Amino acid sequence: MSRQYVGRSQSDRKVSVSGELFALTYGALVAQLVKDYETDDEINKQLNKMGYNIGIRLIEDFLARFPDIGRCYDLKSTADILAKQGFKTFLGIVPLVANWNAKGDEFSLILEYNPLCDFVELSEDHPNLLYSNIICGVLRGALEMVQLDVDVWFVQDTLKGDDTTEIRLKLNKRLEDAVPAGED
Amino acid sequence: VAILKMAVVCVSVISKENFPLYLRTVSTYIENDMGFHHIVHTAIDVIEEKISSVGTGRAGTDFREHYLGPLYPSEQYKIYGYATNTRTKFIIITENTTSQSRDTEINQFFKKLHQAYADMFCNPFYTPDTEITSKRFDRSVTDIFKDSESKLSKNEHHGNKN
Repeated sequence: MSRQYVGRSQSDRKVSVSGELFALTYGALVAQLVKDYETDDEINKQLNKMGYNIGIRLIEDFLARFPDIGRCYDLKSTADILAKQGFKTFLGIVPLVANWNAKGDEFSLILEYNPLCDFVELSEDHPNLLYSNIICGVLRGALEMVQLDVDVWFVQDTLKGDDTTEIRLKLNKRLEDAVPAGED
Repeated sequence: VAILKMAVVCVSVISKENFPLYLRTVSTYIENDMGFHHIVHTAIDVIEEKISSVGTGRAGTDFREHYLGPLYPSEQYKIYGYATNTRTKFIIITENTTSQSRDTEINQFFKKLHQAYADMFCNPFYTPDTEITSKRFDRSVTDIFKDSESKLSKNEHHGNKN
């Protein structure tokens, strides 16, 4: 089974990358981090940081690609666009938006299938490794660029034996002033 | 025990340097494990011989089938071999109770094994040429054990003579 990802290079050519290559590339990245860092916490932090740097760029590409996406008036619209267009465009999947809290500032994205995890089996040496933590960083970085300060974290992970993969997102506050260009 | 007569009893994966990375015997045969290690070691030599002769055959073609068929005669078992282009080798051992050729069926098992191995190998946390501990791979091998048993009972239902 070969999944195709269609991207756009600078010259507007459509470039197709196979799903296997994508999964293997990410896997190589995580495996290298596992070698380079001592604790699972450190590795998770690095993945989040990398994700952040990807996210701040990805949002620019996304907004340029979909100019008709206007300002979102509430978090619910943001969540919808994230799931139905963001995830769809870049990962080819549409997670379910669910588990809203009473205040309406916290929700979950439920992924039935995570293309990053093709072929992956976690080893017992790293029980606290959040393999796909890069996604949390991407969401954090992307939303920061549209003035939303969010916390994003994994609640469930099929790699760890859970039934689904669930990512939770909490809106801390809206940012009024200019945001920093990136981390470190 | 009669039901297991033609089932796959042992599956092994050998690295390109000829180290066993995986050897699993079906549960009813566990006591016989040492015997299978010995069979597998002999089988490795036979496979090496077969794959080394590529290129010296007719028309000097480099094409080689992955499936190598039965490797050497044995009273109690049939020992089948399969070698990939990366020189990873698979061995399937069944009981030797029929003179019927089972090449097609065994080749299907090897293909499944090859796919399961490739999936396992793509795990970024698997170090190449080390022991295979993947639970997913274990399940694929269990499926092969089970499939070969159920194929047999199907044959019995259809009244095939063995």
